Amino acid sequence: MNWKQTIAGLVLGMGMALPGVASGQTLTVLRTVDSFSYDPQRATAAAASEIAFLLGDTLVALDFDMKTIKPLLAKSWTVSPDGKTYTFELRDDVSFCSGKKMTSEDVVYTFNRMLDTENKKPSAQKMGKVKSITAAGPTRIVYELNEPYNELLYTLTLMHGTILNKENVDALGKDFGIKGVDGTGPFCWESWTPRTEMTLKRHAAYKWGPPIYANKGPAKVEKIVWKMVPEDASRMAAVMSGQGDLTYAVPLWSVAELKKAPNVAITAPANYFRTCFIGNKITRDLMKDIEVRKAMNLAVNREDIAKQIFFGNAIPAPAYLHPGTPDFAASTQNTPLGKYNPAEAKKLLDAAGWKAGSDGMREKNGVRLSPVLFILNSGSNPQMATAVQGYMRQVGIDLKIEAFDATAYFTKIATQEFDMFLLCNPYASAGDVLNVYWRSQNRPIPNRMNWIDAETDGWLDAGLQASDPKVRAENYAKVQEKIVANALWVPLVHDMVFVAASKKVKNVKPHATFTSLLYKGLDVSF
Amino acid sequence: MATYVLQRLLISIPVLLGVLLIGFLLLQVVPSDPVELLAGPEATQEVRDSIRKDLGLDRPLYVQFGSYLVRVLQGDLGRSLISNRSVAEELWLAIPPTVELTFMAMLWAIPGGLALGTWAAIRRGQWVDRLVMALSVTGISVPVFFLGLMLIRYVGFEWQALPFVGRPGPLYTWEGLVGIILPAITLGGVLVGPIARMTRTTTLEVLRADYVRTARAKGVREGRVVLAHVLRTALIPIVTLIGLQAAFLLGGAVVTETLFAWPGLGQLAVGAILSRDFPLAQGAIMILALAFILINLSVDVLYTRLDPRVRRR
Repeated sequence: MNWKQTIAGLVLGMGMALPGVASGQTLTVLRTVDSFSYDPQRATAAAASEIAFLLGDTLVALDFDMKTIKPLLAKSWTVSPDGKTYTFELRDDVSFCSGKKMTSEDVVYTFNRMLDTENKKPSAQKMGKVKSITAAGPTRIVYELNEPYNELLYTLTLMHGTILNKENVDALGKDFGIKGVDGTGPFCWESWTPRTEMTLKRHAAYKWGPPIYANKGPAKVEKIVWKMVPEDASRMAAVMSGQGDLTYAVPLWSVAELKKAPNVAITAPANYFRTCFIGNKITRDLMKDIEVRKAMNLAVNREDIAKQIFFGNAIPAPAYLHPGTPDFAASTQNTPLGKYNPAEAKKLLDAAGWKAGSDGMREKNGVRLSPVLFILNSGSNPQMATAVQGYMRQVGIDLKIEAFDATAYFTKIATQEFDMFLLCNPYASAGDVLNVYWRSQNRPIPNRMNWIDAETDGWLDAGLQASDPKVRAENYAKVQEKIVANALWVPLVHDMVFVAASKKVKNVKPHATFTSLLYKGLDVSF
Repeated sequence: MATYVLQRLLISIPVLLGVLLIGFLLLQVVPSDPVELLAGPEATQEVRDSIRKDLGLDRPLYVQFGSYLVRVLQGDLGRSLISNRSVAEELWLAIPPTVELTFMAMLWAIPGGLALGTWAAIRRGQWVDRLVMALSVTGISVPVFFLGLMLIRYVGFEWQALPFVGRPGPLYTWEGLVGIILPAITLGGVLVGPIARMTRTTTLEVLRADYVRTARAKGVREGRVVLAHVLRTALIPIVTLIGLQAAFLLGGAVVTETLFAWPGLGQLAVGAILSRDFPLAQGAIMILALAFILINLSVDVLYTRLDPRVRRR
C-alpha cells in the first residue's frame, strides 16, 4: 500500500455507520472515466458500453451465466444446417425513445452501417464474413454469411450490436452519440456533460426486457445519473456517505473496509473473466529462446501476487484462461509451467547456455538477458511488474520496466520496440479471446506476440465454424495446449470486479458482460 | 491609458500565435496517439489506418498545423479529434467551473492572507507573529491533495456538513454555492501561506519608512496608518504575486479538480494533451495563454492605480 492509499484508507476507516442521503427514485452511479462518444459502433470502451446497454437493445441478450443466449429485440431465431444463414424474427411492439416504431429496416441499416468499408468501425470484424443482411418483411431479418461463424449470436449481444434509429443517426450526423442517441433501451438520453455527468430517464413504454430479469419493464428507477469521480478515496467516501448510490470502480484495497461498512453492500458478478498476463514478443532476439520463456513462467509466484497485490481478490493464473471460461482446456490448468519453481527455472537457463555474470545476471555470447517489459502505469500494473521484476532477478534475468500512461500505452505496444508487455484483458469465451490474439493475420496487433502458426489458424477456423459445440471445444483446446506449451505468455492472475452499493438500493445483481455490471438495470429499485 | 492597453493587446497576438506553434510542436513529442483511443486495443491495422485518414493525421505536420491555423484565424477552433465535439463547446463547458473555483478560492485566500500577514507584521516577534508564520509555512508545505482529503474526510464524510462530489450547479444557485465551499477552501489553502508571508515581509519594510513614522507623529490612528499608508505601499509586490497565482490557478488546479470531481479547464487540458487531441489541447492552451496575458495586463494597470510613480512613467 503506498502513502496515498494509506491516507485514503484513513478516510474510509472513519464513520462507517453514517446514514445515507435519500436519493428518491434517482440512482446516482459514480464512475472514474467517461467515454468520448456514446455511438455504440464508434466507441469500444467499457465506459461507453455501460451506458449503451441502458440506452439501446441488441437482437439477443446474454444471460448472467455468460453462455446462454436469450431473446431481446428478436423473439426467436433459426440457424441453417450449414451454419451460414441466421433468420431472426423481431418483436413487433418495440419503439425507440422518440416513439418511432422499430422495424427490420432499422436493423438492416444498423448492421450495414457497422460494415461500411468507407468508414471502418473498430468491432466490424466481430460481425463475421457477411454475405448480405436483408429484411424479409417488417419483422424478419436474414443474416447470410460466407462461412459459418458460431460466435455470431454472442457478438450480437455486445454493444456494437445495439439497434439504431436510422432517422436519428441521419439527423444528428457527426453529433450522433454526442448530442444524443435514440435507442430502444430501458432508459433514454436526457443530458450529457462530458467528463462530468450523464443523466438517463426511464423509457416509459419499455416492456421488452430480456427474460433474465423478473421485471420486463419499465425500469423501476426513474432516472440514473452517472457522475465522474476519478479519485478513489473521494468516490468510496461518497458511496459510504450517501452522496452516491453505487459504483463499479471499487479499488481492491478498499474491499475489506467496504465489507465491514454497515450501509454498503459489496457484490461481484459470477462468470466474470479477466486475465492479467505478460505477453512475449517471440520475434525479438531474447524472446526467441523458448527456454527463456519457460524459465520466466516458472520464476513467477502467482499465489503471492494474488495475495499481496490484489489483497486476495484475484485467482492465481497457471493457465491462460479462467477455469470457468466456456471451452476452457482443463489440460492447461496443471502444467509444470504454471507452478512456481525457481530452481527448475535456473536449471533451464543453465542448460540453454545462459550463464550468471559477476552481478548474478545471466548472459550468453556476450548478450545480457535483460528483456524490456512495457506496462500501463495505472491500477495494479506497476506493482505486478515490480513483483515480476523481483522474481526474474532471483533467477538471473535483469528485467527492465518501461511504464506509460493509458493514452500512450496502446501506441507503444503497437510497435516492435519491446520484448514483453503486460495487459489485463476481459473475455467471455475461449473463442472470444483466442480468435483475437492468436490468429497469424492479426499481427502485429492484437497478435502482439507475433505468433505465426498455420496449425493454430486451422484450429481457430475449425473452432469458429463448428456447428457442434464439442468439435469447437476440441479445436480451441488444441490451440490452448499449443500456446501454453510454447510459453507465449506468462499468465499472472484472473482478477475480479466489485459493485459497491448503498444498502437502500435493492436487487443489484451484477452482470459480467464487458464490465457493464448494471446491464439493463430493470430490477434495481430503492 | 487606453493606448497603452491597446498596444499590449496587439502585442499579445504574435504571442498567442507563438504559443500555438510551440504547443503544436510539443504535442508531437507526447508518445500517445488519438487513433489508439478511438480504435481500442483489439482493432486491426486496417481499421487504425482508416481512422487515421479520417482524422487527417496521415498528412504532413506542416499541412496539419497550417490548416488548423487558417481555421483559427477565421474564428473556428475546430473539433476534438477524440469526441468530435466542437472545441469551443468543450471550452465553454470547462471555463465557467474553473473561473468560479479560482474566484472563490481567491475571495477568501486574498483577504485572509493580507490580514494574517499584516497582523504578523504589526505584532512582529510576538506569539501572533510566530503562529501566523507557522501556519503559513504549513499552508505552503501541506500538499493540496492532503488538505482536500482531510476536508472530505471530516467535513464531507464524517460530519456530512457539505457535498464533495462534483459541481452541483452554477455559483449563482444555492447548490452551486454550497458545492464550491470545500474545493474553494482546498485551492485557496495553497494561496494563503505565500500571500501572508509576502504581506508580512513587505509590510515590515514599509512600517520602518519615514513617512509612516511621520504619520504616527502627527497622531494618525494606528488602524488608519496601517490600512491607508502602509498596506497601500506594501501591495505592489503582493499584487504581482496574486496575479501570477491567479493565472497559475486557472490551469493548475488539476489536483483539486480531480479530488472533488470538478469539471474544470485544468482537467480538460491535461486530458487533451495526454491523448494528443491537438485541436482541443491547442484551444485549452490558447485560453490559458490569453488568461495569463489579460491577468498580467490587469496587474500592470493596477500598478498605476497603486503607485503614482508608475503612472507618471
